[in-house]
Amino acid sequence: MTRARLPTTRTLSAIAICFALAGVGCVTVKPQQRSVLADPIMQFEGDPQAAAQLRHAIENREGSYGGSGVSGGGCGCN
Amino acid sequence: MGARSNALAALSFVSLSLLAPDARAQLARFETAHTVYHESPTRTNMTVYTPGASIAVSPTEWLGIRGGYEADVVSGATVAVKAGSAYQATNPGADVITTASVRDLRHSPTGQVTLKKGDTSYAFAYTYSTENDYRSHNLYVAARTDAYEHNTQFELSYARNWDGVCDRIQGVNDRPPRFRALEDSSGCFTGDAINRTRRSLGIDGFQATWSQAWTPTFVTQLVYTAQILDGFQSNPYRAVILGQGLKAQEHHPDDRARQSIALRGNLFVRPIKTAFRLGGRVYRDTWDIVSGTVDAEAERYFFEGFRGAVRARYYRQGGAVFWSDDYTGGAPPLGPKGQYWTGDRELSPFWSMLLGFRATYALEPAKKIGGFISAVKASVSGDTIAFDYSEFTLGGVPITNARAFIVGAQFGMAF
Repeated sequence: MTRARLPTTRTLSAIAICFALAGVGCVTVKPQQRSVLADPIMQFEGDPQAAAQLRHAIENREGSYGGSGVSGGGCGCN
Repeated sequence: MGARSNALAALSFVSLSLLAPDARAQLARFETAHTVYHESPTRTNMTVYTPGASIAVSPTEWLGIRGGYEADVVSGATVAVKAGSAYQATNPGADVITTASVRDLRHSPTGQVTLKKGDTSYAFAYTYSTENDYRSHNLYVAARTDAYEHNTQFELSYARNWDGVCDRIQGVNDRPPRFRALEDSSGCFTGDAINRTRRSLGIDGFQATWSQAWTPTFVTQLVYTAQILDGFQSNPYRAVILGQGLKAQEHHPDDRARQSIALRGNLFVRPIKTAFRLGGRVYRDTWDIVSGTVDAEAERYFFEGFRGAVRARYYRQGGAVFWSDDYTGGAPPLGPKGQYWTGDRELSPFWSMLLGFRATYALEPAKKIGGFISAVKASVSGDTIAFDYSEFTLGGVPITNARAFIVGAQFGMAF
């Protein structure tokens, strides 16, 4: 007898992402409601240069990376 | 000939566009940011001053140009020879840990062009970076689009690095356990030093970002990042004691693939005029480093234009598969770990905790200041990080009370 295979974590993740992407089309924040969203306080990276310098200082002391951009060059990792 | 004429015509068109911009759309922005990092774990007192400045202009609605410069002024000490407790126990009285003073200066100019059409924009950037012992060329491309009445943004970006690391020429018949560490950066990249060479490192980075406004006061961002490194990734100056009388240059694998997923949210609570940000990131790479990060921030308007923020960040990672505090022996987790060895505490298991603040004042008067400054922004920040290394020692002596302090200041003007 062949046992039915359970969906893998990857399959479930893909389904969840598809539902989420389909769902965002239903989200309607109207232009006149965007005053708070347009405020600098709602930006994830309001000061990109200062944020990049802080990130540069922190990530050079850690073994991991990611989540905040791939640009930039050099080591500066003494 | 025809292709060349077309290219010249296109160049002329772009030049004329820049020289005769639409006055209504003209906008320029100048920013300068400065950060000082100081850490004081045992035997090292590393200080890094990072000044940076950039100017961005938008001569037309569809074109943005940005040029910038950043530097790192580094001074302090670094561990040059690393040993652990087992070796120290068999060599009592001998100070097997040595440090070397570090003085370096990194220059990094960058240029970026952004093209916009409707809800879509494309960015192209090049960054060059040079220091005594490291050279880097970075190309960056990104595409971003808005959807669903600007409530959704997707961004894809890719970066490629062509890096070069200065190293010592090793003996023809020597293998990594006999490799000697680089003594200093003298003669690097000059081409006339007989015992210096250039080791290459290629880096490919990819990132996909989905930002979503769910309500008028709540946004989220999901970010996937991947990076593939191929080439020399060791610290050429660092040596690790592998056995009695055997000291070898740090030896990391040439290949490394890294992946992370980050999810963050930003909620504005109107009654108290405060934004709360919460984020998390999980990371894994082929060196078997697994890490998790949680960060939280609250930012509040105190009066018109002035806002203050407090932030906290917790980070925890496991060690690389080839990490050992002592490759000469001892009970697990000490002992040899195969064909690679490291003295890098960033590859050891540890956790860190950051606490900090930021104060920002932004002024956007109805009438231009001096007739040409349309906005001014200034901010200061201070952060402290505590590190706790569970396995890393210097000759069996744990690093205790490891702290880092970061102070930042930024100033910007728009015209």
